[in-house]
Amino acid sequence: MQVQLKMEGGLAYIPGLSKPIMIGSETLSTQETAKLKQLLDTAHFFDLPSVIGTPAPGAADYRQYIITVDEDGKHHTVRMVEPIEDPNLQALLTYLKTWRQTIR
Amino acid sequence: MSKREISRHTAFCILPPHIIHSIAQNGTSGQRKRALQNLGTDHTFRAFRTTHNLLAPIQTQGPTPLITEGHPQRTIFNAHHTSNLSGDIVRVEGTDPTGDPAVDEAYDGLGATYQFYWEAYQRNSINDEGLKLDAIVHYDVDYDNAFWNGESMAFGDGDGDLFNRFTISLDVIGHELTHGVTEDEAKLVYMYQPGALNESISDVFGSLVKQFKLQQTADQADWLIGQGLFTAKVKGEALRSMKAPGTAYDDAVLGKDPQPMHMRDIVHTSQDNGGVHINSGIPNHAFYLVATKLGGHAWEKAGRIWYETIRDPRLRATASFRAFALLTAANTDRLYGHSSPERQAIIEAWKKVGIKIS
Repeated sequence: MQVQLKMEGGLAYIPGLSKPIMIGSETLSTQETAKLKQLLDTAHFFDLPSVIGTPAPGAADYRQYIITVDEDGKHHTVRMVEPIEDPNLQALLTYLKTWRQTIR
Repeated sequence: MSKREISRHTAFCILPPHIIHSIAQNGTSGQRKRALQNLGTDHTFRAFRTTHNLLAPIQTQGPTPLITEGHPQRTIFNAHHTSNLSGDIVRVEGTDPTGDPAVDEAYDGLGATYQFYWEAYQRNSINDEGLKLDAIVHYDVDYDNAFWNGESMAFGDGDGDLFNRFTISLDVIGHELTHGVTEDEAKLVYMYQPGALNESISDVFGSLVKQFKLQQTADQADWLIGQGLFTAKVKGEALRSMKAPGTAYDDAVLGKDPQPMHMRDIVHTSQDNGGVHINSGIPNHAFYLVATKLGGHAWEKAGRIWYETIRDPRLRATASFRAFALLTAANTDRLYGHSSPERQAIIEAWKKVGIKIS
């Protein structure tokens, strides 16, 4: 399993924060891999539409998160515009963002 | 208006204006008289229809929330580190400081931005009708951003590692609120060049809010956007520099400030909504050049020209940098005259960033 998080938008375009991060079963411990898989399952990630949320008219500086998951031959990408309202997606995103801070 | 006054000649009612103009110039004495009467009446009708259409949305709106002009109505919400945009109300207009820096900086920053627009341009809040100003602080966890959601502003606390809280920078608060002004006046599409203009206008007036608060002249201002946001770990002074785009930071983790200051270096990308925060460096630098050339308080002349330009009905939602530049020149002509040093400053500034408008 491999999961990629890419972040776009925000008050400034900062090259170092725009690089995608990749985590998965090859880089995480067994325990962390299980936790990540549970978060993906709870969010029903492979059933999600490819785009979630649309910016309100006039909105600016909002972030967009692009999550791509490859698992057992399945491949799916979801682009999310903040604010993320689904608590399961929020939990998944929080987990990935924590890893992003650790890796950068 | 009496029925007699609004009656029109049947034949002229269906004739297009250019034919009526031709009759008014070339017809017989009677024809010319009727054509001239019709042209006068027709303009009155057009003006009436236009005015009626302009007033219709106002007439259907309810009472505005702010009755006293010149005084903001601020509400600060605490999201308690969630991405909930409602949160708890923690400070309202006229109440004492809370002791929470994010809450009090947001409150003060909204007030400074309101005062700037009111005192410099007699604009009553975002919509010029006293719209109440809402801000949400402590948004999300370790959130390195601030944004405008179309109705209110949200501010993260930063991660404490690379970024401090986003309320720390007054020009960032002015920047976010100005997105509301731009949407109210120009509705610039948030992609590519019109999106970069949208961002640049927020930087321009965000910087002017700070300069107005500090009563700085153009040569005293730092022309930085987001000064104070970076922690001491970061090699950089701010998110952007209007004086020298591309030089605001150069850091091992964050990378190098990617902003160009000239059209030859414009960045073609699909990221960042087509580079809206990247290519804004070009119009940002043009404004800096105008403001420093004219000297004095930048909000008085350069700011006035930019403000009149975003309010100009000819500014299209899809405006390019050049279209915007041409309108700054047109508004400078109107405000200061065609042979004025202000117009010369405008022409030279746009030329220096690679946009020729004369």
